[in-house]
Amino acid sequence: MIKEINDFASLFGSSLSLNEELMVKKQNRCFLLNEALKKSVSKDFFYAGIYLGKTVGGKLFPGFELLRLLAEKKANKIIVDKKTEWLFICGRDIFKQGIVNITGAGSKGEHVLVLNNRGECLGFGRIVCDLSKTERGFAVKNILDIGDFLRREKET
Amino acid sequence: MSGKQFFIDRYRKLGWEYRKPKLKQAIRFNTANIMPAAALQRLRELGLQVEKIPFLDNGYWVEKAKFSAGATSEYLLGLYSIQEAAAQIPVSLFTELEAKSVLDACAAPGGKTTQLADLMNNKGVIVALDIDRKRLTALSNHLERCRVKNTVVYELDAREVSQLGMKFNRILLDMPCSGNFATDDKWFQRRTIRDVERNARLQREILAETVKVLDDEGEIIYSTCSLEPEEDEININWAVRHLNLKVEQTESYGQEGLTNVFGQSLDPSISNCRRIWPEQTQGFFVCRLAKGGCA
Repeated sequence: MIKEINDFASLFGSSLSLNEELMVKKQNRCFLLNEALKKSVSKDFFYAGIYLGKTVGGKLFPGFELLRLLAEKKANKIIVDKKTEWLFICGRDIFKQGIVNITGAGSKGEHVLVLNNRGECLGFGRIVCDLSKTERGFAVKNILDIGDFLRREKET
Repeated sequence: MSGKQFFIDRYRKLGWEYRKPKLKQAIRFNTANIMPAAALQRLRELGLQVEKIPFLDNGYWVEKAKFSAGATSEYLLGLYSIQEAAAQIPVSLFTELEAKSVLDACAAPGGKTTQLADLMNNKGVIVALDIDRKRLTALSNHLERCRVKNTVVYELDAREVSQLGMKFNRILLDMPCSGNFATDDKWFQRRTIRDVERNARLQREILAETVKVLDDEGEIIYSTCSLEPEEDEININWAVRHLNLKVEQTESYGQEGLTNVFGQSLDPSISNCRRIWPEQTQGFFVCRLAKGGCA
């Protein structure tokens, strides 16, 4: 699991050093515990501690706390304006004119964390054009956003 | 023995005249994620007008909103939760929570679990149980959204909690119950006294089992959103007599628990319980229990 997490972090030009001894897996889902919790978790748990994400076919589908941990590090990030924040949460892609700040090269194909103007992580996406060369139009493809919680609520 | 008039007559005998409540939506700030003053400022900027609920530390009525309180970045970032006002009371009655081991025996969908984690400042351990897998998924989503870090969830019937081999300093028993008419328009059509009696039996079974895993110095908060005394005062009276539990005094919103129910006299300490008839909140019943009763 640590490999998948490191691979995922590297998509953002970043790295994470998580304590592998505090990581537990339940089927394909991975969780990070604290010391107190580790003593209370038996193998048949359903959910525990911080949800890091799930792996499918060797690929990581991250939890939001993992994205937050990455956002605290040096990583590719964009900050978006208020209107774009809401559109992104609604599952929409990001237009260049909604981006107010870029950390990283902003090159086509890179993954970026998407933050609001308070520095709170809203999700992540993939850059579809070189941001430095683009003035307007479709710039970042939405891959995951916190609106997912609402979509999950509807499912359950 | 069912129907609206049947239940209304029962409430009259218990000293309350039925009237349709005017419920207000309520939210609770997750103070582990944001300070209330900062949260209030953000809600003001959004155009969400809130007013402090006088009997809660972090609870606010939603007075005016141009949009759903559940469709904001702030909600999705876990800065607040939508939680009915009376439902915020039980967790607030624990005397101390930080760094404790806490059992949330009937946890889904998780509003009170996230409230526990918040008051524990994400320290200590919460063990949250439920038996419905779909509701466990909702609980897990709730924990993730609110950035809870100190909770382990098991798909387990609270009546089998001993098998975990753990002891707890605090136990929250927010019981499966018959509910009340304030949150369900068809409640009077749906419910019969047999449902109430069946739920009361289930609640006793859960109480009897969870007492086994309570530390000697521990506390239990027992709550239901039922107005039926079989699930409330009568069950607590049974617990005092049979489970060596005592009802502790609490400073809480609500009326004193009934000590005479349909002609049956109950232990005087039952008055330490709190019964909340529906008005601005839904109906609720809550009390704090500790070991050392009269059994």
